[in-house]
Amino acid sequence: MKISWLTITALILCASFVQPVIYTSNNGVINFRSEAPFELINASSKEMKGAIDLSKNNFAFRIRIRSFEGFNSPLQKEHFNENYMQSEQFPEASFSGKIIETIDYSVKGKYSIRAKGKLMVHGVEQERIIKSEIEVTGNSIRISSEFSVLLSDHNIPIPRVVKEKLANEIHVSINTELFAK
Amino acid sequence: MLQRKLFLLAFLTCSVLFVKAQDVDLNQMLEDEQKKEEKDKVKYTEATFKTTRLINGHSIETTQKGIMDFRISHRFGTINGGAYELFGLDNASMRMGFDFGITPRLMLGFGRSTYQKQYDAFAKYKLLRQSTGKRNMPVSLAVMSSAMVTTMKWTDPTRPNYFSSRVQYAHQLIVARKFSENTSIQIMPTLVHYNIVKFIADPNDIIAIGIGGRQKISPRVSVNFEYYYQLPAYKMPNAENSLSLGFDLETGGHVFQLHITNSRGMTERTFISETAGKWSKGDIMFGFNISRVFTLKKHKKK
Repeated sequence: MKISWLTITALILCASFVQPVIYTSNNGVINFRSEAPFELINASSKEMKGAIDLSKNNFAFRIRIRSFEGFNSPLQKEHFNENYMQSEQFPEASFSGKIIETIDYSVKGKYSIRAKGKLMVHGVEQERIIKSEIEVTGNSIRISSEFSVLLSDHNIPIPRVVKEKLANEIHVSINTELFAK
Repeated sequence: MLQRKLFLLAFLTCSVLFVKAQDVDLNQMLEDEQKKEEKDKVKYTEATFKTTRLINGHSIETTQKGIMDFRISHRFGTINGGAYELFGLDNASMRMGFDFGITPRLMLGFGRSTYQKQYDAFAKYKLLRQSTGKRNMPVSLAVMSSAMVTTMKWTDPTRPNYFSSRVQYAHQLIVARKFSENTSIQIMPTLVHYNIVKFIADPNDIIAIGIGGRQKISPRVSVNFEYYYQLPAYKMPNAENSLSLGFDLETGGHVFQLHITNSRGMTERTFISETAGKWSKGDIMFGFNISRVFTLKKHKKK
């Protein structure tokens, strides 16, 4: 039996259409820092999940709040989860949206981009534009970024007694490498 | 004809795949992945109670590893003393204690109470931890043992007196469940043992069943209750059951516990088996515990 070249071409075409356009990672590093007059708090997680759809320039990142480690004491971590982030009710934070610039992912190199999307922390969504560095290496995409999150933007009140120990502006940095799915 | 059909089939599959590839909601995709992963992980329930004491007695919680918890507790006199006693504030009894988190499951502590000049020491160990995910454990279980020594002068120094006569023990099982973010309940079967009792008819072993719980009313405030029921066949004559109601207020490294109770003592023996106050008569005492934690071992920076 003969199978026409047309069919084979169609199949090859088809294969090229569905070639991986989604890059993902589930071990991105995220770190946050609170610099208040009386206390410096640091915590990080290596469990950040990320995905980029190259064809549509879409992206999404997610982090499980309970995966943050560090802090100045175990009690502080407990309070972080129980009293501030309410991790039982809001177990994750996420950022998803679209990259404003168009990048030619077939060309290796570093690009400065702006990611526009919805930042969800503590159940409160904020429209944000976050500057990031993207590096296309050929088989992976590296992303790093530094930005701030205001607790007041996300309905996380700071009790008066810890005003000098907890900053309203939290510095966040992320670092991750995504691979084709 | 067959070829054309094949081509069509290939084209259709292709377009379906293509459309599918285009329509992925990345956020949803990550969320599904997260959920799948969580099923394979054991998630331990944390913070069933705010601190290691419910009101008078122990909660399921243990002091975290490398942490020292300095606790100061006061119980005032009964409020039915009236304005003359400033509703009990004239008579304070106090316990000062130091608790240490040895491992994530084990804590040790000791204290000194002004009431009957008593020293006490205890160990509490978490046997089971409530969890969901890969391992489903509906309750947490801890065992607590304490020894208490009263150091009042001997009532009759002329007869032979032994150190062992000053010692009592309490052993407790604590079964707790955090039903929701705000509601936790625990049950505490307890055995109190006296090496020596006043009268020959008094039992040396007292058995009581405790029940306690908390309801959070805001992230930092909870309402607590605690009740110990003594089995009638194993109790001291005239001893009342201990009932306490209180608040937990948490601020950073401090936990303040304010409560009213009919028990004067703050160690297992004194409140479980020697409570004298009657709620119905207004023998209610105001009291508070203050807990302040100190980090002994610096947390490893990551």
